[in-house]
Amino acid sequence: MDRKLIPQGTAVLGLDLRTFSYLDAPEPVLRDIHLEVQPGSLTVISGHSGSGKSTLGAILAGLLPRHSMDQLAGTLSVDGSLVEFSDSASPRIDIARWSQHVGLLPQDARHYLSGIRGTVAEELAFSLENAGMPREQMHQKVTALAQRLRLDHLLQRHPDQLSGGQERLVALAALAISEPEVLVLDEPLAGLDQPATALVSELISLLRAQGTALVILAGTHHFWAQEADAFWLLDQGTLQCIPDAAQHQIRTETQHQHPAGGAPLMLNMESVRLCYPGASGPAVQDLDLQIRSGECLGLAGPNGSGKTTVLKAIAGLLQPVAGTMSLIGTTGLLLQNSADQLFERTVLREVSFGIPKKSSLHQRIAEVLVQLGLESYAQTHPFELPASARRLLALATVLVHEPKILLLDEPTEGLDELGEAKLREIIAAVLARGGAVILSTHDGKFMDSVAHRVHHMNQ
Amino acid sequence: MSSNLLLPDESSSQTIRRRLLAIAGTVILVATYLILIITQPMGIVEGLGQGVALGTFAAYLAAAVLLLLAVLPDLPVSTLTLIPVALALNIILGQFVGSVMIPLYIDSIGTVIVGFLAGRRAGAATGVLSTLVWSLFAPTVLPFAAGAALVGFLAGTAARFGALRRIYLAPVAGLVAGVLVGVVSSPVATFVYGGTSGVGTGALVAAFSSMGDSLLSAVTKQALISDPGDKAVVFLVAALLVYALPKRLSGSFAFVRRYRVLGKRVSK
Amino acid sequence: MPRTIKLHPFTILAIAVAVITMTTAASLWWLSCAVMALCLLIAGWSGHLKKLAVLSGAMLLPTFLSLLLIHGLISRDQSPAIAQWGPLRVTLKGLEVALSLGLRTAVFVVVGLLCGLLIDRHQLVAAIDLSPVPPQLGYLLAASLFLLPQMAEKQRRIGEAQALRGAGTGNGLAGWFQRVRLRAVPLVLASMQDAQDRAVHLSARGFPASGANTRLRTVPDSPVQRVIRWTAAICAVLGPILILLLSAMGGN
Repeated sequence: MDRKLIPQGTAVLGLDLRTFSYLDAPEPVLRDIHLEVQPGSLTVISGHSGSGKSTLGAILAGLLPRHSMDQLAGTLSVDGSLVEFSDSASPRIDIARWSQHVGLLPQDARHYLSGIRGTVAEELAFSLENAGMPREQMHQKVTALAQRLRLDHLLQRHPDQLSGGQERLVALAALAISEPEVLVLDEPLAGLDQPATALVSELISLLRAQGTALVILAGTHHFWAQEADAFWLLDQGTLQCIPDAAQHQIRTETQHQHPAGGAPLMLNMESVRLCYPGASGPAVQDLDLQIRSGECLGLAGPNGSGKTTVLKAIAGLLQPVAGTMSLIGTTGLLLQNSADQLFERTVLREVSFGIPKKSSLHQRIAEVLVQLGLESYAQTHPFELPASARRLLALATVLVHEPKILLLDEPTEGLDELGEAKLREIIAAVLARGGAVILSTHDGKFMDSVAHRVHHMNQ
Repeated sequence: MSSNLLLPDESSSQTIRRRLLAIAGTVILVATYLILIITQPMGIVEGLGQGVALGTFAAYLAAAVLLLLAVLPDLPVSTLTLIPVALALNIILGQFVGSVMIPLYIDSIGTVIVGFLAGRRAGAATGVLSTLVWSLFAPTVLPFAAGAALVGFLAGTAARFGALRRIYLAPVAGLVAGVLVGVVSSPVATFVYGGTSGVGTGALVAAFSSMGDSLLSAVTKQALISDPGDKAVVFLVAALLVYALPKRLSGSFAFVRRYRVLGKRVSK
Repeated sequence: MPRTIKLHPFTILAIAVAVITMTTAASLWWLSCAVMALCLLIAGWSGHLKKLAVLSGAMLLPTFLSLLLIHGLISRDQSPAIAQWGPLRVTLKGLEVALSLGLRTAVFVVVGLLCGLLIDRHQLVAAIDLSPVPPQLGYLLAASLFLLPQMAEKQRRIGEAQALRGAGTGNGLAGWFQRVRLRAVPLVLASMQDAQDRAVHLSARGFPASGANTRLRTVPDSPVQRVIRWTAAICAVLGPILILLLSAMGGN
């Protein structure tokens, strides 16, 4: 519990929080947080999934507490004014005005974009349109901003056709157009590949260069280690200062033992061509791929090179139109958008789905939950899990059937450090009992530490 | 204590105007319905027929639009983002049943869900909007906007009075809603279009007509056969879907909390 | 390559409403056919002919059949019957009524669909936003139009994901019910959660506007079009009244 006394009047955003709890929650999520954001500074707050980072970010941006629902005890100071929250005083915040001082980029940039405008330029102008700004002025602001942030080439694009990284760029620009003093960014680099990461971090530096203070909520703070003015770790609902950011190193122990050469062949694909029904050309052609028992294969390649297509084909969702594919053993595929499948009311039911009561797999259910650290969530609704746990839940539904070949599409997306550690354990376990793992990921470091071989998709 | 970051209270003049719009809409709807029922104009093609058609169309549509304009400014943003989802669900979930040979429409699951979660005004708005948007693809649904508003309105009313607290009450509420909607919408089918738009329903109307009923009563009887069953299924499915939602989501609606729509949840 | 009409969306709507109401009031079969032919011509010129024909046909065929059943086959007026089988009684008058009603609906459908095909969605939403109606209306229209294809795509992905789980292979009513549940519930859960997540950011961006809102997009308009709109609106209301009065007087 660190309390720093900052001279009044210099901080652009100040938070003095005693407790915060969500509606109907028994325990407060956050307590005893004191934070001051200086103009133009970069503050990094890190913490694992479920630690309350997003909650803290939303409080800073005025989006929480929801009036007459959540409970906040404390004060916030924005733009020189002090807003007090307590049991007796729960003011209704004007979110639109607040966001002119403190803006928030959510984890999923698509939640920020309006979804109702036909061009990126109009999307950027959305908040100005709602304020009733004259057209000429809006046009000027949008063009000036696009030039400053190097987004001119995107201005006439349809927001639906943006890639994940571009969506984030547009959302950041839309946030910046009202020129807030502080921007809170919730995991801005999560799930991006190399080129997109470079673009987004460049934009962030540009924003910082023009004087906006940044509060970055990160899963790990290694990326910002060099430039940050202040580091905090959010743990057990409260902030702890990290004096020396360089200390938290990832243990990149690469513990692979290459499988013995004579291990049985589990998958053999020769000259395989894959097409989607109704597509003009093949998604993948002339593919030769083998994998042996005990081996972990990584698929690498840019977006659109067909990595997901290959995984789907191995899982049996897509039949090859040419070439041969022979497979030994059952497969299990973890899709990228794994939340798409969840439909049961509790975690336990979700994992037990499809397994009859008398089946031998029934013991597996409890085992898998423990293996992935989900046993405490057994009676929770899947949509109420933190993002990392939800991803692990999807993995659990695949693992419970004990597939011989485990197929993973972007498995690290949405996982925090703990989740990644569990994933490594799982992969090691599958390989140890004679199975095989094929994964496709943007995360180069993870690929290097886990895969025995990497197959580059040619396109 | 700063005031520019906090919301002011709503001005009372706005609420009066909205109330007037709502009253105007309801009066037009009720008056048109009563006039049609009482006078039962004959001659749907020659003489006054076209006038009656145009008049009924205009009155029903105007009533629906006035009710929409009365309700819209009241809706919180969380309801506004929900309504387009409900519209899409109306269409997508309706297609699931299309493959089965049941003569039901099942095109209002989304509207009813909004009624259950956000109240009767939100439900009514969803019904009208659903019709307006769908009319861009199928213009003939336009005068049925008032009926669609009624479905959403009744869904909200049912939820408010506890029809969702026991799962078997939902289809009963749907049955009642179906009767009301069928009765209110029959004059539209009769006087604007002179019949129905489907072959199956047309055969039913023809059957009743051959037994000596006037067109209006034949159409009403046909509606009383299809609509209650349809709405009972819709209310039941919508209730099941609402129960499948995480408590964090359903509990975030002020309407659900205020009227304890989902009762005391046993499982969590 | 479809050609676009550069008229203000409200002008197109106003003209369409006027045409529909006056044609319906006149109730002359040759006028209705002429209007529909004109619509098909315009559709042809703008490249939407096939779509208009197919969509109208799909909607009008069941309607005509239904009307034929109701009025054509079961005629209760006193004119002599052409044919008679038990309760079925076909009269010339009845067929005339059925055709007349069908034509009335047909004009409405064809003109309405043509409007839908000619008006650009984004321009329509912008026109609504710039008009005095509450800003929520424009948002809701736009969000509904643009959300539907996204949700259909999501539905497809869900179907794929559930196929992977080997789910939904049961037979009979229970199996069908489970299949429906598997495909419907994730869609509803995910899309409703999504809607809730988006709401707060929409508020943060100032929606709904408390005062008048402006749009970056321009909707081209001209004084001529304004005059046309007003004239069309007046014709839409007064036209049918005049026509009905005239025909009533002419009839006597």
